[in-house]
Amino acid sequence: MSLNVRELMKPFMEVQDDLYCFAKRAKQAGEKIAGYLCTYSPQELFHAGGYFPVRVIGKEGGTPLADQWLQPYACSFAKGVLNLGLEGDFSFLDLVVFSHTCDTMQNLAEAWRRRVEGAPVIVVSTPNLNAGDIALNYLKRELARVKEEVENISGSKITDEKILESIHLYEKHRNNMKILYQIRRESPYLISGTDMFLVVLSSFVMKKEEHNELLEKLIRDLKSITPEDVKKPRVLVGGSVCQAQGFIQSIEGTGAVVSDDDLCMGSRSYVIPPVPQGEPIEMLAQMYLSRIPCPAFYKPGYDPAQVYIEKVKSGDVNGVIFLQTKFCDPYAFNYPYIRKRLEQEGIPSLLLEVEQNQPVPEAFRTRVEAFVETLMNR
Amino acid sequence: MSQRVPIRSTAKMKELMGFYYMMAKAGENDPNQKIAWITSGGPVEILHAGGVIPIYPENVAAMAGTMKISDEICAVAEEQGFSRDLCSYARTDIGSALSGKGPLMGSASPKPDFLVCCNNICGTVTKWYEELQRIFNVPLIFIDAPFQYGIKDRPEAIDYMEAQLRNMIDIVGEITGKPVEWDKFMETLELADRAVKLWREIQDLLQHKPAPMNSFDTFIHLAPIVTLRGTQGCIEYYETLKAELLERIEQGIGTLEKEEYRLGWDNLPVWYKIKFLSERFSQHNSALVVSTYTRSFCYQAEDRDISNPLRAMSADYLAGYINHGIDFRERELYQMVQNFSLDGLVMHSNRSCRAYSFGQYELARTMEEKYDVPVLLIEADQNDTRMWSDEQIGNRIDAFMERVAGKKKRNIA
Repeated sequence: MSLNVRELMKPFMEVQDDLYCFAKRAKQAGEKIAGYLCTYSPQELFHAGGYFPVRVIGKEGGTPLADQWLQPYACSFAKGVLNLGLEGDFSFLDLVVFSHTCDTMQNLAEAWRRRVEGAPVIVVSTPNLNAGDIALNYLKRELARVKEEVENISGSKITDEKILESIHLYEKHRNNMKILYQIRRESPYLISGTDMFLVVLSSFVMKKEEHNELLEKLIRDLKSITPEDVKKPRVLVGGSVCQAQGFIQSIEGTGAVVSDDDLCMGSRSYVIPPVPQGEPIEMLAQMYLSRIPCPAFYKPGYDPAQVYIEKVKSGDVNGVIFLQTKFCDPYAFNYPYIRKRLEQEGIPSLLLEVEQNQPVPEAFRTRVEAFVETLMNR
Repeated sequence: MSQRVPIRSTAKMKELMGFYYMMAKAGENDPNQKIAWITSGGPVEILHAGGVIPIYPENVAAMAGTMKISDEICAVAEEQGFSRDLCSYARTDIGSALSGKGPLMGSASPKPDFLVCCNNICGTVTKWYEELQRIFNVPLIFIDAPFQYGIKDRPEAIDYMEAQLRNMIDIVGEITGKPVEWDKFMETLELADRAVKLWREIQDLLQHKPAPMNSFDTFIHLAPIVTLRGTQGCIEYYETLKAELLERIEQGIGTLEKEEYRLGWDNLPVWYKIKFLSERFSQHNSALVVSTYTRSFCYQAEDRDISNPLRAMSADYLAGYINHGIDFRERELYQMVQNFSLDGLVMHSNRSCRAYSFGQYELARTMEEKYDVPVLLIEADQNDTRMWSDEQIGNRIDAFMERVAGKKKRNIA
């Protein structure tokens, strides 16, 4: 093997030191930055409106300021990002965008609007009903309204051509990510899940144009490598958000490989069916509603367990680890059903309750170790 | 301990609700009678107009809470993997559906033929009803009521509601095999409108000093407006209650021997501690005279188009307190303080209800700092007794009442 994986990963690793180094550099060069908290925020519209959209992600650390806003029974993701916001970590943003999802995010948007100084806040009222013409029409009107709001804030019109350009750029990016996911399903040992997580993380904070270039090079290089003949248990990780690389790293530290995921900080944001051509707002509305829904949403006929079963079967996955962020209600409601269906299919699973803003606890590693051992012995 | 003249109408309400639950139980065995489970903020008028018996899992869960059997029923859901951090109503209801245990003569609610979920009260119901759909394998009608972040409700959201309600009318007709008659529906809306107005008038009567009943009574008298809104029985009941309250006002009957302080309540009740809380506040000569929770069932949209009842209904189902952001809530709370001459606010930070509770810290701060209203925050849960300590909460109430009394004395002096 002539290619060194560490070399390949280098361009993605910059985010490890400062997640927002790209945004801050762009800001210094005079660009406008839009921070979005949820991947249902229509990034294409902000991109078309001249903003560089980056995802607002938290990091390890206490939440003394956010604790003045949110009760102890609020999820650590919400508290973590709010605390950073209140501390001024996101003062480089020119616009902050929320999408309606769960009860916690809804109140987080309110907290941000009332108490975080600086950029104006836009809330996208994404329908929680994720199918049918009635919901589609509502989302179309909402996206048109958001477009106007962006125009009013930025003072410049967003043309259909611009939106289409952005749609195509974002779709190209999703396609590249999909190819990478496919490569990992087939040969999960080429790059680790830990490295993949860095690729995903960087995808939310780099310019899509640049990330596309990096992805295309990575895909070419990976395709030229003959996979080594290794055998490690393959694990699928499921959850809502997952902002720390530590969880994935810790799982892989026990000898397993995380070969796939069902995370919004992961495949749910990228593995989306192609957008049918049409009027730009319609294309966007269609695309957002055709996603594997955020657990907070209701999509008639959608079976949350089916995705897991299909991924496990098509990717030779040996077991599932649920990263349940404490107090994330939508995912916690899905869990008993998914676990039951996995059990019926003979697929082993492990539930781990996690806090997004804390270091990976020792107990996490111990439990994963025991789980991975059972997978090895099967 | 203060003397209380009991409210006579309570017996009539028990009769009304008893009859309703009896009919519902009987309906379970009648193949021609459809039963739907529906969320407390759901458009029940369509069910009444379509001859469907509505069952309210939230009501039933609250009954289980009051009867102090919710913990053991929740445990059934928890054993199936439902986290203890999830809403205790949802756990009570799912546990009841799975085990058959419940507060209705010891058993669970009559099984549903279909489900109606409207997320204007929280996002939790979305997930809860998805689970009910899996348990019972019946159709689910989901009404998505967009949360209103601003003070003024958005017209496109009202359009969205209207389209969904029209759709629901068709689906209910398909399920019952008999289209919902438009005239009957209009008549039901008219009855609901009258009931909602009565319920608001009744609560407004508590602005009188002394208040003719208190919020702990109001919690109990809430059942008909939730369940039977749109029926004649509901109106008759509230007319009786209203007449009795007017009579009490005329005779100067309050709920305490001496009503010195008047308080407002925010969030759901602590169902299993109603008596404790009522007595503790009474000891301080303080009456709870208004709550955002019971008022939630009489919100009507501000600029509702009464010439178009379905349109007005669509707007009303967005208009509730907890379907709104903090600016709206701040405005409502301050209006309550003024209209009901409140000396303070008690906010139940309810672990089960993130939708209702998040934002309370900010509201409490705002009420204290901007409006000079003392606020007590109680950390508890609507149904899960494991959160509670009589001593701790009791002490906090005592300390709070000292603060309220001190402030009132200063204001008078």
